[in-house]
Amino acid sequence: MTTHYGAGPTVYDPMTLPVDDNVNSYTFCVELKGSQWFLQKGKMIAYYGAIEFNGIGHGRLDRLVRTSFHSPLHASDWVVAEGSGKMLLADRAFDVNSYDLENGNLTIRSGNLLAFQPSLSLKQSIVPGFLTLIGTGKFVAASNGPVVFMEPPLRVDPQALVGWADCPSPCHHYDHQYMTGVMGGLRALTGLGGASGEEHQFEFVGAGTVLLQSTETLMAEQATGGTPQQAGVPGGGGGHGPQGPQAGAPRLPGQLGDLQRRFGL
Amino acid sequence: MFRLQGSKVLAVDMTGDAVKAKNGSMVAYDGQMDFKKLSGGGEGLRGMVTRRLTGEQMTVMEVRGQGTCWFADRASEINLVQLRGDKLYVESSNLLATDAGLRTGTTFTGLRGASQGNGLFTTTVEGHGQAAITSDGPAVVLRVSPQYPLSVDPGAYVAHQGNLRQSFQSGVTFRTFLGEGGGEAFQIRFEGDGLVYVQPSERNTIAGDV
Repeated sequence: MTTHYGAGPTVYDPMTLPVDDNVNSYTFCVELKGSQWFLQKGKMIAYYGAIEFNGIGHGRLDRLVRTSFHSPLHASDWVVAEGSGKMLLADRAFDVNSYDLENGNLTIRSGNLLAFQPSLSLKQSIVPGFLTLIGTGKFVAASNGPVVFMEPPLRVDPQALVGWADCPSPCHHYDHQYMTGVMGGLRALTGLGGASGEEHQFEFVGAGTVLLQSTETLMAEQATGGTPQQAGVPGGGGGHGPQGPQAGAPRLPGQLGDLQRRFGL
Repeated sequence: MFRLQGSKVLAVDMTGDAVKAKNGSMVAYDGQMDFKKLSGGGEGLRGMVTRRLTGEQMTVMEVRGQGTCWFADRASEINLVQLRGDKLYVESSNLLATDAGLRTGTTFTGLRGASQGNGLFTTTVEGHGQAAITSDGPAVVLRVSPQYPLSVDPGAYVAHQGNLRQSFQSGVTFRTFLGEGGGEAFQIRFEGDGLVYVQPSERNTIAGDV
């Protein structure tokens, strides 16, 4: 056994680690030079150098909430990394990728966003469960499988949607023909006769980019913070409960009125 | 001779020699193979008692024969480690296979083990040869040198080798108790000369929440 076949993987040190780039598909390296990055709690796996991790929302970091978060509602899930050195980020062995925004905006599913530069500002999207990044800078997002970029107009599967940039928020789309009428109602209620599970999509129009992951396994949602309990605020009051965008198929109707419509009566 | 087939299957070519592997990790073989359970990881009576006492249990089989044997463990990524007389520290659950000529044993890890939630003891592999360790996602291998110490999240730590000192770093402040902690309250700091294997995923540890 003296032949050393496949001597092993690449060994990294602070010199050979990439700067603000992927080490492999699952690990991202950030270089800090006295600068700051925001990351979700517990996504740092290792670092070289002197880096401090602080919860947001106290003392001198309170200013950051004002400049970079605007909504204090979800700030407690974020951490500021500050110092100099190189740190590695990863998330449950999911694919990670970095994206550059130039004076743009991007809305992303809350569980997918890992880290971002303070030059970007993070806001709650009015679509529940989504966050919007605005400004110029770099951010890192995780996805279950590699990310695919698509251009509207298109319809996407709700579970595969990671986020969208520059285009208007999506709307729901149902395959109307397939879901109405007596047969459609029976199919939707019983699942018999071939409910394909693809009768409901998100529809994107306009100019922009849509980010899709290559599986339909959703990543766990992160709390985005509550919304103000006001009339007219989606997800905030009204008594309908959270109507998550992840609802794959239309809910089974409870009322007769719904049934009637469904059966085309 | 160890080689990877894809990143999740380990192929071992054998010509009458033997390897030690995690019990039940064989997925296929061709040629002639004998599988023998090794009580106490082949470490003798003393090793067996130590493992029982420390809770660092490891059920190991010895595979001997002619041909190729393939090993895999729950589709986790496999990393090959070359040992040239140095010592590899790895959790027993992450150790897939070793050359039969390598010595395995248990050692006390102190607070690091406690912070990982893996118990206070860890497995050591020593000698000349190859070992295969598993990780959740491909491990990143980081070099530690005297001028570049490394801090690692306990949940992402997989293994280390070489001449390293480890110390336990705590970022717990009064803010942690107010629920405003940095989320990275505990780290293991490695100093000296060696390699650290880190996986792109975090086990659930106490430290993960504070």
